Amino acid sequence: MIRYILQRLAGMIVVMFLVVTIVFVIVRVTPGDPAAVMLGPDATPQDITDLRARLGLDKSIWVQYFLYIGQLLKGDLGHSIFLNMPVTAALMERAEPTFFLTIFSLAIACVIALPIGIYAAYRRGSFIDQASTFLAMLAASIPSFWLGLILMQFVAVRHNIFPVSGYGGPGASFLDRMYHLTLPALALGLVSSALILRFTRASMLDVLSDDYIRTARAKGLAERRVILKHALKNALIPILTVLGLTAAVLISGAVVTETVFGLPGIGNLVVSAVLRRDYPVIQGALLVIAGLYVLINFAIDMLYLLVDPRVRY
Amino acid sequence: MKSKLVPFAALLLAAMPNDLVAQEKGGVINVATIGEPPTLDPMTSTADLVGIVTQHMFETLYTFDKKWSVTPLLAESLPEITADGKTFTVKLRSGIKFQDGTDMDSADVVASLNRWTKLASRGKQAAGFIESITAPDSTTVTIQLKQPYAPLSALLAFNNSAAIIIPSEKQADTMSEFVGTGPYMLKERKADQYIQLVRFDGYQSRSNDSDGYGGARHAYLDEIRFVPVPDANTRIEAAVSGQYDYVDALPVESFDKLKSAAATQPMLLKPFGYPVFVFNTAEGAANNMEVRKAIRQALSMEDMLAAAFGSTDFYALEGNIYPSAFAWSTDAGVEGNYNAADPEGAKAAATAAGYKGEPIRILTSRQYEFHYKMAQVAAEYLKLAGFNVDMQVVDWATLTQRRADKGLWDIYITHSPFLPEPGLIGSLSTSSPGWWDTPARKTAVDTFTAEADPAKRVALWADVQKVIYAEAPFIKIGNFNAVSSISNKLQGVDPAPWPYFWNASIKK
Repeated sequence: MIRYILQRLAGMIVVMFLVVTIVFVIVRVTPGDPAAVMLGPDATPQDITDLRARLGLDKSIWVQYFLYIGQLLKGDLGHSIFLNMPVTAALMERAEPTFFLTIFSLAIACVIALPIGIYAAYRRGSFIDQASTFLAMLAASIPSFWLGLILMQFVAVRHNIFPVSGYGGPGASFLDRMYHLTLPALALGLVSSALILRFTRASMLDVLSDDYIRTARAKGLAERRVILKHALKNALIPILTVLGLTAAVLISGAVVTETVFGLPGIGNLVVSAVLRRDYPVIQGALLVIAGLYVLINFAIDMLYLLVDPRVRY
Repeated sequence: MKSKLVPFAALLLAAMPNDLVAQEKGGVINVATIGEPPTLDPMTSTADLVGIVTQHMFETLYTFDKKWSVTPLLAESLPEITADGKTFTVKLRSGIKFQDGTDMDSADVVASLNRWTKLASRGKQAAGFIESITAPDSTTVTIQLKQPYAPLSALLAFNNSAAIIIPSEKQADTMSEFVGTGPYMLKERKADQYIQLVRFDGYQSRSNDSDGYGGARHAYLDEIRFVPVPDANTRIEAAVSGQYDYVDALPVESFDKLKSAAATQPMLLKPFGYPVFVFNTAEGAANNMEVRKAIRQALSMEDMLAAAFGSTDFYALEGNIYPSAFAWSTDAGVEGNYNAADPEGAKAAATAAGYKGEPIRILTSRQYEFHYKMAQVAAEYLKLAGFNVDMQVVDWATLTQRRADKGLWDIYITHSPFLPEPGLIGSLSTSSPGWWDTPARKTAVDTFTAEADPAKRVALWADVQKVIYAEAPFIKIGNFNAVSSISNKLQGVDPAPWPYFWNASIKK
């Protein structure tokens, strides 16, 4: 077990090193210049050259790379060119909307997908099963940003129930911020629920035909107990996997949804940083996102140990 | 009776000049902008968005009135210029306070103007003409020039790459404290979320009537919050729903939708500016002046504008670089050189000029959708004229980098508002991408910039425009209008290329 964990940790370090290197190279070879964006359309080439020198962008790519690695080893993700603040602080500032959007969306997705998925499997072939399969297919085919635009049009513009964009102004309360998150969370939650629903149904169907379920029923256990305790517990591994992957996707920034709804989250930060060529932010954000992916996958593998005693590493 | 009077009263109210509508202090407004400004130091960026936000916090010695004439702001009056045009004497207003409570004096102005000539693109442009900046006393500043330089007053009035006045002890290259003399001051900035400005109670307004950016500036609103909403569609929906009190830079297609919205109304700035095709005169096929003119001959400005802006409500076909509302407007050199839409004639002209099918690399971006639409139409006309078109669609950051390299492009597409002073037009500078540098340019532009007499300058600008049409360093496509939206509860906002919200208030 400890050996397995150590192996995984070593693998993580290699993955992170590769991520750092690949992102660094891609960012530098992509055309575009942060100095030109910052100085505006009427800046002269000399102004741009001067600013590049001030930002250290005139050094060779290798010098920049080794300086960056040196910074990272000291735990410093660098300093944002545009935001004039440390990248770590910028990421911390953006973590809140993304974190709550993830939780909110996952909660919506689970509330919809788990009961319907379980019921659809339990009543296989029923109208509810067929309808849920159709709706799940439909939801899986809809891009979340498109659904977001439709929700925006009907719920925010026509009926003024929720705000169109933003995350609340200065001094906005927690409730106000959550109120601003409702529409994007609905858009993401509805779309994410499709995958979770299909996995829940399929996994439950697998389990419901197993012998121990027949045994449990033969023992005269209440159907509710059979489904929710015996079947669901054993069906949880694939469901946990898909929940973990969905969380990883959402926490790394529902890029388009955050942009459409003007949410100052991590996805929005990455998009803005790419457009502005804010190299330190792109590098830092992608490093953190890759780290989160790796950690979430690791956490899911560890969770398997808890939900299924047969799993051994 | 009441129902008959209400529309009449509303009509009367709408017809009244803004100054006459009762305005009360108080209220907070949210202004949706196209994004987050790259900096809040308006000296160090020429981006319009930087100017829009920071003009509320910082002030310059001069600014522009409704007719785009230079008018004093922190200066007491217009500069006294000696007969040889080489000495500018600026008398400062007294009693001006910075937002940190200190008094503004000539030492602050000298330090700020020195910082401007060191850091700002427009300041560096002026620096070559400036011999010295001194302060004979606490309320006077003297700018000694090496040679006459007429655009100086306009450069000192501009709101981006701006000659803002900040305290002498806060002149670091990287601004960390944002202390100006403007009617609003920075309270909090959360990047990509909001920039919160609050009223500066120590603001000293000019006493004369408000006039464009000039005259009295009344800070009626308690707060102005600039909120970045980069997605154009979201800005439209936010405007229609009334979530924001003012929404900047809306696509023209949204005009009708805004007209039928209950909470808001569209605001049209007519005209806002002009799209430009800039030629690389230094290298490549467009290095040949006759090829550039053949390209211009092929193009239909009308079709390009129609594709980009849809309706003549939002564009106008006009070859004069400045439209008729400006004193600079002239038709010199335009006739026969604008909107020819003659691909066949262009083909013959290009062949005669020695064009042999070299690629014409058009650099454009979809960041501004109208650039891309115009590029598509232009490409078809150029193909009809036998040009080998290579359209390169990149994002704006890539475009701004690539256009700096003479080897990478032949035409790039951009746009500009109508700048109050023609001397500020970037393409007239030899260092600006395009690198137009010919004896005719030098004679016309240098004579124009050296002349101090306003009437003579208007005539000299006609000469510059004539050379622009004769040598085709860039092509003006036409005039276009800008659409923004204003909520029904907000008053006192005039259409402006860089919208400002002093003098704005909430209707009671």
